[in-house]
Amino acid sequence: MIEILQQIINGLAIGGVYVLIALGLTIVFGILGIAHFAHGSVSMFGGYLTFFLVAQQGLPLTLAIAIALVVGMVLGVLIELLAYRPVRNANHINAFIVALGLTMMVEGFNLQFFGAEQVVIPTGATRVFNFGGLTLPELRLYVILGAAALIVAMTIFVEKTKTGQAIRAVAENRDAAILMGINVQMIPMIVFAISTALGVAAGVMVGSLFAIAPGVGEGLVVKGFAVLILGGLGSIPGAVVGGIVLGVTEALAAGFISSAYKDVIAFVVMIGVLLFRPQGLMGRA
Amino acid sequence: MTRKTIPLLAALALFLILPQLIAVKYYLHLSILALIWVIMAQGQNLIQGYTGYVSIVQAGFMGIGAYSTALMGSHFGLPSSVTIILAPLVTACFALLAGYPSLRVKGHYFAIVTLAFNMVIFIILLNFTDLTNGEAGISGIAKPGYGRGALIDFNDRQVYYYFVLAVAVLMTALAAVIVRSRIGQILIAIRQNEDLVASVGVAAWKYKLFAFVVSAMFAGLAGALYAHYQSFINPEIFGVAQSLDAILAVIIGGSGTLTGPVIGAFFVVFLPEYLRFADSFRLILYGLILVLATIFMPRGIVGVARDLAGRIRGQ
Repeated sequence: MIEILQQIINGLAIGGVYVLIALGLTIVFGILGIAHFAHGSVSMFGGYLTFFLVAQQGLPLTLAIAIALVVGMVLGVLIELLAYRPVRNANHINAFIVALGLTMMVEGFNLQFFGAEQVVIPTGATRVFNFGGLTLPELRLYVILGAAALIVAMTIFVEKTKTGQAIRAVAENRDAAILMGINVQMIPMIVFAISTALGVAAGVMVGSLFAIAPGVGEGLVVKGFAVLILGGLGSIPGAVVGGIVLGVTEALAAGFISSAYKDVIAFVVMIGVLLFRPQGLMGRA
Repeated sequence: MTRKTIPLLAALALFLILPQLIAVKYYLHLSILALIWVIMAQGQNLIQGYTGYVSIVQAGFMGIGAYSTALMGSHFGLPSSVTIILAPLVTACFALLAGYPSLRVKGHYFAIVTLAFNMVIFIILLNFTDLTNGEAGISGIAKPGYGRGALIDFNDRQVYYYFVLAVAVLMTALAAVIVRSRIGQILIAIRQNEDLVASVGVAAWKYKLFAFVVSAMFAGLAGALYAHYQSFINPEIFGVAQSLDAILAVIIGGSGTLTGPVIGAFFVVFLPEYLRFADSFRLILYGLILVLATIFMPRGIVGVARDLAGRIRGQ
């Protein structure tokens, strides 16, 4: 029993990372209909940048993360303006191909400027808490709390603020939103800025929990999409539930079945859900 | 002789004399790889270009074809000529299993589910070491006809070139037959408006599954030819990145055309080689070309060529 609880706690940390990735993907998908495949590589860029600022420039971690988040937001806006906007009215396959090209560019950029070695962001959070047989490393706790805080902040932003309302209006009906005087040119840029900031946060978490290396971003974005499919495309609660389900399933699979095949098991769960609920766990039929 | 026959014969003649034009052995090697990729891209074009479903599992199917031909050869002692024919059939079985759940969903969902299948295939090839030998891969895969006193020596690169050329021409012709048949017309109709196809009482899912399984067979055959050509396979080249190359080949060449995948295949094999001088900028440049091509010539090289030809004829 303790062992199962332990794996669930382990799964919550990685599940939190998946939720952040999936939230970034889901707002872009829900509002703009773009499968933003470069999201994983951009997240890794954020992680690399944080590592660079902390380990090589000697900045304090919080400042480094803040800079990475701002740079990420600017990058997100540029990606929207330069890459996705020109294909907005074309077939959705075109936007997807642009996303693939972007992935290559960001991966190439990461390789060129940060090298091919795997790096771990130093955090100094090394304490381990113990609750009646359950161990909880300090770092995992921060990741879980950080992810939860970002999820809450994002929900409040989308549900309560004027900008959030405008975003939801555009998602619901773009033409009606224009008639209501919403600046629909601004919305995609805001969405990409938020999405990329969430991705950068996830990249920092991956970089401090595990490691950043070429190719990690690809795996991350696929997991992000798996979460979206599990939860239901474009659904924010779906992304949260899907991310936690995937993280915990993976941890249990790694702990009790086989760590080499944990990803296979995660995908089997996803495909199983699709067979019985093609609209996803939280999606509307 | 229609107007289309002449360029077709000219292209065929060019491919026939190509080995004589190439001075550097390495380019002959790349040309063989490109012809294998023509088969791969024609398959991808059936599902992506004609049916409108972006499949990201094609390299995984290529892997299944490559491993099945190698394993059937080494475990059952079957001759290569037999295993090359069986490999696409084995791939088709896997494609049936993968296609049924994947095709229940549309658009982006389909792309992502197939991507997940590619990762599953990759992980299994990497970890099922008893069968696949893991990362180390399988080496010493025999060339077709080798060691049986055959008249044609497939170890000669030029011979293998003509062998692959023949198969590529055959498969392109098969793709043409499928596309021009009633089935092909229904596939195009599905791409245009799937709901409409369903509303006139056509079971669209059967046709989608057909396109998906046939595209997988093309990939499986390409994989088998690749395995026997290189004599060595490991999981590395059957990952998602290569599936993306198959998509690029179709897009850059011109999707939904028969010439497009041929041009695109040569493009994705040769361009990275030419960009090698740029070192790690290579990936950035390749990505940039892709983004610019999609924005400024969404109908691919064939589309641009047609526009140009139309303009010249119009003047």
